[in-house]
Amino acid sequence: MRQRVDHGLKRDADDAEALRLLYRVLRETGRTVEAHDLLNHLVEVDPSAATATFAHRERSKLGDAPGRPVRIALLSSYVLDPLIPFLDVECRRAGLASTFYVAPFNQYTQEVLDPSSGLYSFGPEIAFVALDLEDLFPAVRGVPSVDELARSRDEIRGTIATLVRELHARCNALIVVHELALTGWSPHGILDNRRGDGLSRWTEDLNRDLAEELSAQVHTFLLPLRQVLGRAGTERGQRRKLHYMARMRHGDAALRELARYSMRYVKPLKGLTRKCVVVDLDGTLWGGVVGEVGPEGIQLGPTAPGAEFVDFQEALLNLTKRGILLAICSKNNTDDVMPVLREHKHMVLREEHFSALRINWRNKAENLAEIAEELNVGLDALVFLDDNPAERALVRQLLPEVLTVELPRDASQLRATLEDLTDFELLALTREDQLRVSQYQANRRRQALERSSGSLDDYLHSLEIRAEIARAAPHHVPRLVQMFNKTNQFNATMRRYQAQELARFVASPDHRVYVLEVADRFGDHGLVGAAIVLEEREAWRVDSFLLSCRVMGLSVETVLLKRIYDAARVRQVPRLVGEFIRTPKNGPTADFYRRHGFRLDGDTDGAQAWILDPRVDRIEDPPWIAVKATGE
Amino acid sequence: MRTVEEVVSGVFGVERGSIDESSCPETVDGWDSMGHLNLVLALEENFNVSIDIGDVMEMGNVRKIRQILLEYGVRS
Repeated sequence: MRQRVDHGLKRDADDAEALRLLYRVLRETGRTVEAHDLLNHLVEVDPSAATATFAHRERSKLGDAPGRPVRIALLSSYVLDPLIPFLDVECRRAGLASTFYVAPFNQYTQEVLDPSSGLYSFGPEIAFVALDLEDLFPAVRGVPSVDELARSRDEIRGTIATLVRELHARCNALIVVHELALTGWSPHGILDNRRGDGLSRWTEDLNRDLAEELSAQVHTFLLPLRQVLGRAGTERGQRRKLHYMARMRHGDAALRELARYSMRYVKPLKGLTRKCVVVDLDGTLWGGVVGEVGPEGIQLGPTAPGAEFVDFQEALLNLTKRGILLAICSKNNTDDVMPVLREHKHMVLREEHFSALRINWRNKAENLAEIAEELNVGLDALVFLDDNPAERALVRQLLPEVLTVELPRDASQLRATLEDLTDFELLALTREDQLRVSQYQANRRRQALERSSGSLDDYLHSLEIRAEIARAAPHHVPRLVQMFNKTNQFNATMRRYQAQELARFVASPDHRVYVLEVADRFGDHGLVGAAIVLEEREAWRVDSFLLSCRVMGLSVETVLLKRIYDAARVRQVPRLVGEFIRTPKNGPTADFYRRHGFRLDGDTDGAQAWILDPRVDRIEDPPWIAVKATGE
Repeated sequence: MRTVEEVVSGVFGVERGSIDESSCPETVDGWDSMGHLNLVLALEENFNVSIDIGDVMEMGNVRKIRQILLEYGVRS
């Protein structure tokens, strides 16, 4: 059977009809996982609404979907159900097993206001609020007066602000509100943008109001619907027909773009943001083979062929501004490449922009695995860009966790292909993200120092580590969200708190949230440690304790733990309880409490409680760290 | 250009042989109101026509679809 399926796939890989036939065979023989895979392949071959709908329907029959679950709610003033098959496809591609909730037609307000509504019992992790401008303000179909426009602008802002506030009060979902868009041309024609009651400027102002309103709230975003629709083409004919027939607004090209864009919110929420782009050189960063034509012979410069590559390099450089790392993996001689990286006058990317280099003739899969190790990121944090289909096929097969992008043969499409990827989004840009690229450079200098130091102790002393511990304030929340959702190795309980929960802990009188910032002579690490302590009557419970892998091995965790211990000792708290929950990834945390003199006081299914008596036991700061504690 | 039967089987993911002149929402899995919309969009694309909503409502089975397409000058 396997053979028959593989054979069929080879022969008819692009024939949707044949894929459907194969799919039925898999389904009927109970091979669920392969059937799910084949549905992914089918919607790639045939991206129509019909096929997406078919795939979505079949998945609900198949059950047992592989992947991490994600719960998505849609709240809309129009029929948005047809988005679900497209969104489902995108989630499956990202390895997520999605479930959806759609508020009953045009009952979004009731659903949000009623605490016992279906929406809240579904418990969404992310909620999309898609309201149509004509539904909120029917007069916009005619010629509204200046007064009407001003009034409705305030009303709409108020309506949406209230919805978002009520949603936040009742659930922890990330909220994504669609921009409001005009349909069709203005009734004022070409005079529209010359008039006080012109609609295009009014719509701009309205959306700017919304952006302002929403950016003031945590975990709330405004989706640039007008850009998304513009990309798809507004397809007015089809939209109008869908509107009359089914109270829908968007045709399938628009829905496909919308689903794709929506993943820019889903992926970072689920911790699927990629951290490092590994690029090939010849044919990828420039045209031609440098080993054959020399540094002056490659295609790279202000005119095409060559300008496409300058453009592409600029887009890669832009990624580093939000903390995405770059690395090189190229089959080349270092001596051929370095003159280009260092001296070619049209190179946008220079040696210092790359956090790891693998320029050799070895297998690229091995090189990628080494890069991940060197940068201390998982393979699932890598994106691989290479113009050579054979290299891509090899990496896809050997390292399926790496995102290997299908690069176009046409270099003029390189930049757009990169910018279309939805894998580099951050829900907040923190100081730590902006510091990241320079931090990896500092790391190289630290490693050089470590190699030249006589002993580990010498090394640690010569680093001149400074640690600062404070109680968390609201402005720390975005970075805390990142820490709680990305930290795997040094994370005692792996509790994945989101912004709202963390904001609540920070404000709560029963919780102590601590943050740790670390710097050394080579640079600033930023906020790299956090702990949540729950004050109970007879004990303080360390609910979460985590440390970025960047600063593991320096004993800065001891400084943070000591601060908690100090506070407990001053209050004569009889028991300090450290919780530890074993997961496949947090091995490095397993002996954390033991190392600091805690005693095991219970172990059920890998969930352990470690205790210490602050009145009697002692914790000491490591002598190589200068500690500063602010606040209480 | 595909035949009406081919479009129908493609849209609902069923075997081509299972679709005939009398196939209709009652006999084809997935041919519900949303499925009907998808079918209309697929027919429009395949035969390069824009179908009036009144006609969409009349398209109750494969035979009817073919008759209506004739009025748009499409021989399928």
